[in-house]
Amino acid sequence: MNPKLFDVKVVQIRQLTPRVREYLLTSANGTALPTWTAGAHIALHLTSPTRGLVVRHYSLIGGGELQDDSPNTYRIAVQREEHGFGSNLIHETFKAGTALRIGPPVNSFALDRSAPKVLLLAGGIGITPLVPMARSLLRRKRSFQMVYSGRSVDQMAYAQALQEMCGEALQLQCSDTDGMLDIKKLLAAQDLDTQVYVCGPTPFINAAIDAAKSLKWEEGRLRSEAFISSVLAGDTPFKVSLQRSGRDVEVRGDESLLDALSNARIPVFWDCRKGECGLCATKVVTHDGELQHRDRYLTEEEKQQGQSMCLCVSRTNGKHLVLDL
Amino acid sequence: MNSIVDKSIIDIENPDNFELGGFADHNTPLIKDCWYVAALTHEVSREVISKRLLGVDVALYRTLAGKAVAVRNRCPHRSFPLSKGKLEGDVLVCGYHGMAFNPSGHCVKMPALPIVPTHADVRSYPVVEKGPLIWIWLGHPDRADESLVPDTEWLASPEWKTVNGFFPIKSDYVSMHENLLDQTHFPFLHPGAIGTPEYARSKLDARMDGDSVVIDRALLNSPPPGVYAMPTGLTGKPVDRFSEARFVSPALHRAFARIVDNNDPSGQPRTYRFNITHIFTPETNQGMHYWWFCSRDFKHDDAAIDEHLLGASAKAYKEDVDALEWIMDNILKDAEPQFDLHFAPDKPGLMMRQSLYRLAMAEAGHTS
Repeated sequence: MNPKLFDVKVVQIRQLTPRVREYLLTSANGTALPTWTAGAHIALHLTSPTRGLVVRHYSLIGGGELQDDSPNTYRIAVQREEHGFGSNLIHETFKAGTALRIGPPVNSFALDRSAPKVLLLAGGIGITPLVPMARSLLRRKRSFQMVYSGRSVDQMAYAQALQEMCGEALQLQCSDTDGMLDIKKLLAAQDLDTQVYVCGPTPFINAAIDAAKSLKWEEGRLRSEAFISSVLAGDTPFKVSLQRSGRDVEVRGDESLLDALSNARIPVFWDCRKGECGLCATKVVTHDGELQHRDRYLTEEEKQQGQSMCLCVSRTNGKHLVLDL
Repeated sequence: MNSIVDKSIIDIENPDNFELGGFADHNTPLIKDCWYVAALTHEVSREVISKRLLGVDVALYRTLAGKAVAVRNRCPHRSFPLSKGKLEGDVLVCGYHGMAFNPSGHCVKMPALPIVPTHADVRSYPVVEKGPLIWIWLGHPDRADESLVPDTEWLASPEWKTVNGFFPIKSDYVSMHENLLDQTHFPFLHPGAIGTPEYARSKLDARMDGDSVVIDRALLNSPPPGVYAMPTGLTGKPVDRFSEARFVSPALHRAFARIVDNNDPSGQPRTYRFNITHIFTPETNQGMHYWWFCSRDFKHDDAAIDEHLLGASAKAYKEDVDALEWIMDNILKDAEPQFDLHFAPDKPGLMMRQSLYRLAMAEAGHTS
């Protein structure tokens, strides 16, 4: 059930900003990696010495400015998050030659080639899937505008490369000097046939979604990709007991239930790892706290009933959870 | 030549398998970044059809508004051929679990889930319809520049009258391109039809034009070949013959022929033009779709000429098809290795093979 994984190695590392590093990954045997389209991401299957398997998702950048990377290479950019176990692991352990496994490219944020006008809206490290989108639009000579919001230029990955690539089409909004971006005003100023792609931290995306709603935009005109984060700040540790096998597994505050079970070698089905496919949905026997459902698979009613949960993104704020596994 | 001995398709994009200055053959990776013909316009309708193009199975249909759509003929869920499903309006519905995709390839429904998954799009391919041809871009969609679609305006122009035909061929498209740049085979493989012995020996001028290969030829004061003699009514009469044969792209070879009768009864020289269009889309490395078109700029309404050109062209091209299939069969089945010999008139074909090889190398990420 696990998708086919590919062996790659780190071949180049570049410090883009104080917190963001870019990594070039090439296939271990030199052959071409699967083709992908703008907006796609890959899963990095990392191994932590203390934790075992840690899976993190990163968007594919595709190349430097307009130049494509060769077919055996993927390029990703990783921002070090203060409480992000995965991003810290990457920043601390990735060196030239580091071997790792990745999943095939998946696109949940595809750029529609037929859109007549496009607005790309990025908040911080959310710029990553929008870089290949800008490249695609430029190459195809499509009319587009890119608004990239961040604290200051030196903290905004690819700001300079995008300026060179996009010229007038790019607006950098630095909150330190220009103030906060007024997303509603920006969306209200768009032509009726403009398709908007937004990526950034959850509050940024939510602000865009709320603005589109308040402007009564039809669904689908604003497309977003939230970072696929299986763990959020403030998540707490708990114990999970498996009713069928009689085993207990401790889930740390900064790891997902699925990762904890995988590391304990409990066989669990999974595929998308972002709460959509439903493959990891599991029956809940009892729980002493609140179930924190973060998937799209279960209906609101099912979430209320609390009889099942998606292991990849959902957890509990209690101390003990019993699953029918 | 790299090797005429058959081996399995070479490990695409492994740098060790490329060498500078090599020549393409039936093992060379196909060129993806190129416009190819997917189908003739009348083949694509509200009935979903499928074709294997460059090794990829593609489903083709038209929207209610008549726009041609090409998507991968393989559901991203369980690989069911989408062409076996059905169209509901402009939405293509898989016949296995009912997953549905809009003309952009975006998944709009997955009946077995309470939601529409966001990562379940099927790949869609850029298509351009021009005259009788539907062109498709199977390479990187960003590079699908419509201005790169080769010019075939004569196929749609009222100045020209065209007859055409189609062959599926069990041979590689590289050999087919070479066959068309090889004019010394005409009198032997196609006796009495398109070649004359004088033509085979006439001097040719072959040159590169970017990635294209062009052969200019002039043969003065010589009778026209059989295929052109009847339509022009110049059988046996000495005329001046000029031709430009051009390997335009991996997808297209065209030949422009002019026959000038300096002794026309009008007292003025009269020019008769023929534009021959050969279109190939590799099905795999060892098979292709072959469409041919014979266009003339005179006597549009003469049905006897249509019939003659259709019959003579189809006969000659069938001779090419047979020859190439016999050659491919030899290459693939003969156990004893052979290193084919080249002679001076093979130069245009070798230039084309080198050009295709360079394109394949560039696509594999190597710079020459």
